Amino acid sequence: MKFTGRFTVSPESSVFSLVMLPLLGAALVMLAKAFLKGRMAAGMQFTAMLVGLFGPWLALLYTFPLVWSGLTVEGVIGNWSGVVGITFQFDGLAWLINALGYTVAGAAWIYSLGAGPRGPVFSSVFLIQTAALAATAMTADIFNLFVCLEVLGIASYVLVASSEKNGAFLASFSYLMVSASSMVFFLAGLFGLYRLTGSLSYSGISQALLALPDQGGGLAAISLSLIIAAVAMRVAMMPLYGWLPDAHALAPHAVSAVLSGVLIKTPLFALSRIMLIVPLGAAAAQLLGYAGAATAIVAVLVALSQKDAKRLLAYHSISQIGYVVCAWGAALDLGMDTMAGQHLMTAAFLHAFYHALFKGLLFLSIGTSTDRAGSRNVYTLRGAASTLRQSGERLPITLLSFIIAALAISAIPPLNGYASKIAITYSLKGSWQYWVLSAASIGTIASFIKLSRIFWPQPARIRLMATEEPSAVFMPSVATARHSGLPAQIVPGPMTDTSAVKRANLPVGISQAMLALACVASGLAAPWLYGFVLRLLDSAASLGFTSLNPGPALYTADNLLKTLYMVLAGFVLFRLAVSALGSRLLSLVRDRHRGFHGLFLSFAVGLSVLCVWLLLV
Amino acid sequence: MHSHVGQGEVVLERILILLLFLIGFAGIVGMRNIIKKIFGLTIINSAVVLLFIVEGSRIGNSAPIIDAEIGLVVDPVPQALMLTAIVIGVCVTALALALAFRLYKAYGSFDIDEIHRQVHRES
Repeated sequence: MKFTGRFTVSPESSVFSLVMLPLLGAALVMLAKAFLKGRMAAGMQFTAMLVGLFGPWLALLYTFPLVWSGLTVEGVIGNWSGVVGITFQFDGLAWLINALGYTVAGAAWIYSLGAGPRGPVFSSVFLIQTAALAATAMTADIFNLFVCLEVLGIASYVLVASSEKNGAFLASFSYLMVSASSMVFFLAGLFGLYRLTGSLSYSGISQALLALPDQGGGLAAISLSLIIAAVAMRVAMMPLYGWLPDAHALAPHAVSAVLSGVLIKTPLFALSRIMLIVPLGAAAAQLLGYAGAATAIVAVLVALSQKDAKRLLAYHSISQIGYVVCAWGAALDLGMDTMAGQHLMTAAFLHAFYHALFKGLLFLSIGTSTDRAGSRNVYTLRGAASTLRQSGERLPITLLSFIIAALAISAIPPLNGYASKIAITYSLKGSWQYWVLSAASIGTIASFIKLSRIFWPQPARIRLMATEEPSAVFMPSVATARHSGLPAQIVPGPMTDTSAVKRANLPVGISQAMLALACVASGLAAPWLYGFVLRLLDSAASLGFTSLNPGPALYTADNLLKTLYMVLAGFVLFRLAVSALGSRLLSLVRDRHRGFHGLFLSFAVGLSVLCVWLLLV
Repeated sequence: MHSHVGQGEVVLERILILLLFLIGFAGIVGMRNIIKKIFGLTIINSAVVLLFIVEGSRIGNSAPIIDAEIGLVVDPVPQALMLTAIVIGVCVTALALALAFRLYKAYGSFDIDEIHRQVHRES
């Protein structure tokens, strides 16, 4: 397809630029590090980040009309023939995932300008990760999927470790070991499929499998389950989520936002490409959907028990990805050629997208608040709002951001989380998953009431302790941290410097305001966005269901009443959780044994269950 | 050249590759020393590379040099894939060793249980 005009940019090359621009940026950052000094280096690094993170928006805008009209940009990298080359497929789904990735990555980078981490190594690895995200979204070749996932993984291990906390090295190591091992299983599964079909592209594999007399039989089932289990490990669904809480809690805040917002969802949607077309894909998706519902409820209970604010958020990421996987699995089970399947997939993507916005915002605002206050303990930290004010925030952007994001994740209208949770439960109404997800929503509300306590004014007792130490007037919770026996290094060094805090305020405020506005805007525009995503996802299947059903009505009396009941139930659950018996039970959950070997045990269990399930159907 | 490989030889090779894989996996899960865990990761990676090369060489039976009888050459794709997989494996191993070094500097031990205990005490 050629466009006439002054510049002729083929759709293929503009799609490539989504991957190439961040890589170009990474190369420029490294060149600046090697050859330039001082202001020149900083300027070039800044330009490279702009090129890598915001340049791709031009390509997204350019390809939008094509994708909107239902076309798919397909091609083979390097113009090889389709039999041996690496194929890619850029459709509505890929466009949406790219838009999601570049939104969150851009906001996270602006945040990192103020609050760190900075420097060429962080910048280039961050760009490489973004490039890998874009590539994962559009690949249609199973070996290329392996390479993309590995690049994504390597970049994220480095980024987790880049917070330079000792615990982060262990988190990164555990994540690396379990994820690299699961990728070896992926490779073994890939060989099984290649042996059966002689092809590596998704379409080639599925055509060859369908042509086989028993559709590949046992070998196909085992190979497929090896591949799916390895990807499910990255998505962190039950029971493979063990690596996530530490990795996401100990990473720098900007990285946590991208990890939780984008990194766990991209492999899931990339997997849907292959699951849609291979035999057994629907059966596997059904099981994953069940696992997703279980993930949503189990993870929220564990989240409710957490003491560390960021770890609490990390468990909520697992719980929310459970919602997404539940709707996603049900959608693939029904098939994307049915209307219910399309609506479920739309709901799944919208929840993934909205979650990326509000969870990114939560990580940034909680990260800012806990850094300024010097403590992350949900049980002892109080008065974070006044600490933020004292550190020079004239407009309470961080506090407002937290409030917006917490209301969004608790599904309070008119914020975006409400719209997507209604969409998911609307399509699942009547099934057992509906009740499980509703129960998980109550847990979400309860645990965000618990988390919001860090902003409440301090009780008189703690304020008294704070005034005893002169240094603690500026940082009220330092006293709290010392009295609760936490090690002294948690009290931040550089952030106590007032001028550094003031300088950091601007980018931190801008990035939070961006995401907060996005949360509110996408909540208000939810019905329109629903139609938008439905049409883009439909363009992949080209069925034209869009005009038939505009999606669920949002503000019906029924839905609003249900939300009211949920909030009340959330309050009750919160009261129970902070009661004497409740907190004893929750501390048992919190202090349960979590070791390195558990990660591998759960992988083995998950893999075997999936394998048996696929062999039996 | 594998033009006349016996069925018994095929089974033996598969068993040996599986054994190698299991040894590596046992290393990852069973060893407490994190350096030995990284060895385990390298071993399972090598086992899968061997699987691709050994099994892949049975598709066709002469060296993949484009010649008159092109239909009979060994399928070059598995070998090409493994070049990439080996490179990725080396990167992951290097990164894992770097992390192990930082862990040793921070906690003075390579023992995963000991490191876990110390991290738990810190938090």
